[in-house]
Amino acid sequence: MSTDATGDYDERVTEEITVTVNGEEVTAEVEPRLKLSDFLRNECGLNGVRVGCEHGVCGACTVEQDGRTVKSCLSYAVQADGAEIETVEGLTDEAESEDGSLHPIQEAFHETHALQCGFCTSGFVMATKELLEENPDPTREEIEEGLADNICRCTGYQNIYEAVERAAEEMRE
Amino acid sequence: MSSSQPSETDDVDVEPETETESFTGTGLPRVEDRRILTGKAEYIHDVTPENCLHMALVRSMHAHADVVSIDTSAAEDHPDCELVLTAADVKAEYGPMPVGIPEVETDDGVATLEEWSLADEKVRFVGEPVAVVVASDRYAAEDVADLVDVEYDPRDAVADGMEAREDEVLVHDDVGTNVVDGERLEFGDLDDAFEEADHVVSGEYSWGRISGVPLETAGVVAQYDDETDSFDIDCNIQLHTLVDEMIHEPLGYDADDVRVNVPADVGGSYGTKIGIHRYCCLAAMASKELERPVKFNEDRLENLQGGDMHSSDREYEMRLAVDDDGTMRGLDVWFVDDFGAFPRYPVNQVLKPLSVLTNSYEIDHVGYEYELVLTNKTSQTAYRGFGVDPHIYALEMIVDEAAREIGIDPTEFRRRNLITPDQLPYTLPSKNIYDSGDYPATLDRIEEIIADERDGGLLDPEVVAERREEGKYRGVQPSVIIEPGVSGSDWTDRQRTENDELEERSRDEVDELPEHLRATVREDGTVQAYLATDSSGQGHQTLVSQLLADELGVLPSDIEVDYLDSVDAPTEYGSAASRMAVMLSGATVGLAERVGEAAERVAADHWDVSTDDVAYQDGAVDRIGGDESLSLAELAAVDAERDVEDRELTGVSYNYDHPATEHEEFDEAFTRKFPVYPTAAFGANAPIVEVDSRTGEVDILKFYTVRDCGTMLNPMIVEGQAHGGIAQGVGAALLEEFGYEDDGQPQAITLFDYLLPSIENVPEIEMEHTETPSPYTETGAKGVGEGGMIDAPASIATSINAALEPIGADEPADRIPVAPDHLLEKVREAEDESEDDA
Ligand code: FES
Ligand code: FES
Repeated sequence: MSTDATGDYDERVTEEITVTVNGEEVTAEVEPRLKLSDFLRNECGLNGVRVGCEHGVCGACTVEQDGRTVKSCLSYAVQADGAEIETVEGLTDEAESEDGSLHPIQEAFHETHALQCGFCTSGFVMATKELLEENPDPTREEIEEGLADNICRCTGYQNIYEAVERAAEEMRE
Repeated sequence: MSSSQPSETDDVDVEPETETESFTGTGLPRVEDRRILTGKAEYIHDVTPENCLHMALVRSMHAHADVVSIDTSAAEDHPDCELVLTAADVKAEYGPMPVGIPEVETDDGVATLEEWSLADEKVRFVGEPVAVVVASDRYAAEDVADLVDVEYDPRDAVADGMEAREDEVLVHDDVGTNVVDGERLEFGDLDDAFEEADHVVSGEYSWGRISGVPLETAGVVAQYDDETDSFDIDCNIQLHTLVDEMIHEPLGYDADDVRVNVPADVGGSYGTKIGIHRYCCLAAMASKELERPVKFNEDRLENLQGGDMHSSDREYEMRLAVDDDGTMRGLDVWFVDDFGAFPRYPVNQVLKPLSVLTNSYEIDHVGYEYELVLTNKTSQTAYRGFGVDPHIYALEMIVDEAAREIGIDPTEFRRRNLITPDQLPYTLPSKNIYDSGDYPATLDRIEEIIADERDGGLLDPEVVAERREEGKYRGVQPSVIIEPGVSGSDWTDRQRTENDELEERSRDEVDELPEHLRATVREDGTVQAYLATDSSGQGHQTLVSQLLADELGVLPSDIEVDYLDSVDAPTEYGSAASRMAVMLSGATVGLAERVGEAAERVAADHWDVSTDDVAYQDGAVDRIGGDESLSLAELAAVDAERDVEDRELTGVSYNYDHPATEHEEFDEAFTRKFPVYPTAAFGANAPIVEVDSRTGEVDILKFYTVRDCGTMLNPMIVEGQAHGGIAQGVGAALLEEFGYEDDGQPQAITLFDYLLPSIENVPEIEMEHTETPSPYTETGAKGVGEGGMIDAPASIATSINAALEPIGADEPADRIPVAPDHLLEKVREAEDESEDDA
């Protein structure tokens, strides 16, 4: 938003973008300053994208963009024009359409009690997905490295290790 | 009372294990998880009603300044601006927010302390809200906020608790002093103890300003209803049935006209969110003005710098009187707690340590003195441990120091002074009572674990020597630490009562704040239960469905658990102070009994027999001596035919009284000013630390812990609580701090500066449990929510002391967090000294 010299205000400038979100194409008019995280939450209704810091530290807003995880609070929606985005909601839809159950990573988090308040959980699930796609059988050190960009304030991480190991085992089978 | 064997609780079993098909005591996976994992859980940030407007705050960038003028005209000219509010608007229509210490005695009478939701003539901390703006969305609201022109006249600030005591800069001019509260309590014969003891050891310890910092920030959606002149306030405040007065009082409305509702899912709180009422008030005022819903989401910068959410910030001076044989004779505690600009609700944070005054040690003569000072920092709120964590830390530090000075092995010194099982229940000098447990056995067990590590493990002498060659020092120092559980009653109010008034007080005048639970049997035979508290990740819905299923003899899946808002729920305490395992389980047992009795009355009525001729069991009422039986579904159908007011199976409720109320032993503490926490969970930690003497960095190689919280209702949840608490303890001990410049500018306003422990910082935790049931509680459970945060910082600190013992460093962990630069200085000092000696 800017004012000109006389104090009148410009119309809010918008741009049209087209993004494939969880397999569906979404076209929207957005302000250039709209964060990708806010676009996904407010325009696409995907509240599973959580916002914990808006400065790239906590990882709650982690989504997959063109096959790589990104912190969606650190980029703008216009930068995702033409991209494919997957959020935690997409993960379940995939699994549910097959057999009505949770994705193995979600299931493992549930079974091992790897979530308490759950505010970090979407981010951890997405980070785990990338980790296991790259490394189907990670060691504890590799898990640590893979999840180092996500903060959980509740669980002390112990059960998150277990969840990742259990999911890895499940997904290898 | 017998202590059971250590139990392995790693297995998560969905099926009940015992023949009686009990779900209680098993790690039943949580009912909360699915909605969270699929992204469908609705946290407060996700609540955006139609037609909703968005609020942003203009905040002070000065730590201390006079507000000369506020020009809102440019903001109001902005096309997206809906409303601007300043203190003048607030003061014209509303009242101030309640403060923890409303009146301060001064040299010339009594001065009142007032806190307004927007700063008026002066600002007292960086981030203090000065104006509200409301616009169509948050982006626009921030644009508008930038256009509010506030002219300040900066003053000198005071940002250090010890300095604030000098009163050179006054945070509240009218009050005339920054020391707004203080008291000295003495138990036993302190002077004699210190005079007669062979040694008096003293030390100074500092606990840096830290807090819970949940991943979800504060949020509120307020909606004013013109027709009924009332408010609906959705928010993530903690203890909404207790602290709702912090919202309706400033608004000037009755409790019934301000409906405070907390979503089922809150993204963590750990005590901190009890202090978010300012936002609730402001959003409510804006909503009333605009007659539209108004939403506010605090952002992280606001949260860290001026979110009213920091916690304990203390300087301690400790003295311990000890005899040559290692007997602890007396303890004298003095500390200053820097509360920031306003003394809010957590003023009891300075007194809660009385509930574990001497930790696990028998010390009969104790002094306890505190000063509560105000500075130009954001105000304090509660945080897991509620002030006990710094006390335990300072106490374990002076114990370490005393062991060193008198030349006893620090573990042996501790062991000699431990309260023994035959002394339990044990009444502390400060009148709280430890219920049950075997502290020496717990110390023995953790010592065994350490002995194993000394034999070919992390602490093997050869390994330790090798690491030393590289400048890396390993060590560990355990102690047994108590977690006081289950606050209740009204000591919050009593704390502010004059002593002579308290003398007069009888036991009947104590307000006990029971735990309320309610249930309705639905026509399909399932049970809808309602909690009168809020949750923020503790799994209360799971716990209640698990326990209620057992008590009613049905399946957890037959029970659904929901939440009551502040109007529908009675005023009660709620989730804090390690209460819920005990209070909810007690309430569940009582509620199930009530439901069973109600079902029996419906059945007896239906068959036209006496209630003596029927019996509730496993989801049905049977007719004794006959073969008739009515299931809960059938009974609900029968009940539904009655008049609404006669229905037995709708809104069945039960209030579980605070467990200490039934035990006269607690009466003395109850009627006086002392905190009553009738369960004493306990544990011993062995964090094996490695200190790099060249960088000052501390690596925790492994964290062993042996814990006992009485009967474990859901071991999976219990362990999760311990893991989380320990991780927060690691953060407190090594990483986290809200530092301030001398001029009151906060140094930690992003998560790049306030360092939350990541998966790389939290060591592997290996946990064992014993189960010594509490004799005072319905299910034998003890409070369990805060333990790790209470015991881990002290254990890490003493272990760092132990690691650097070989180089003769002087109490290296004498300040929390133990930052690398501080340790480096300690190492250098020790090196200089040894050079001088040489
Ligand atoms: S919200 Fe994006 S990293 Fe924290
Ligand atoms: S579960 Fe609460 S932050 Fe991870």
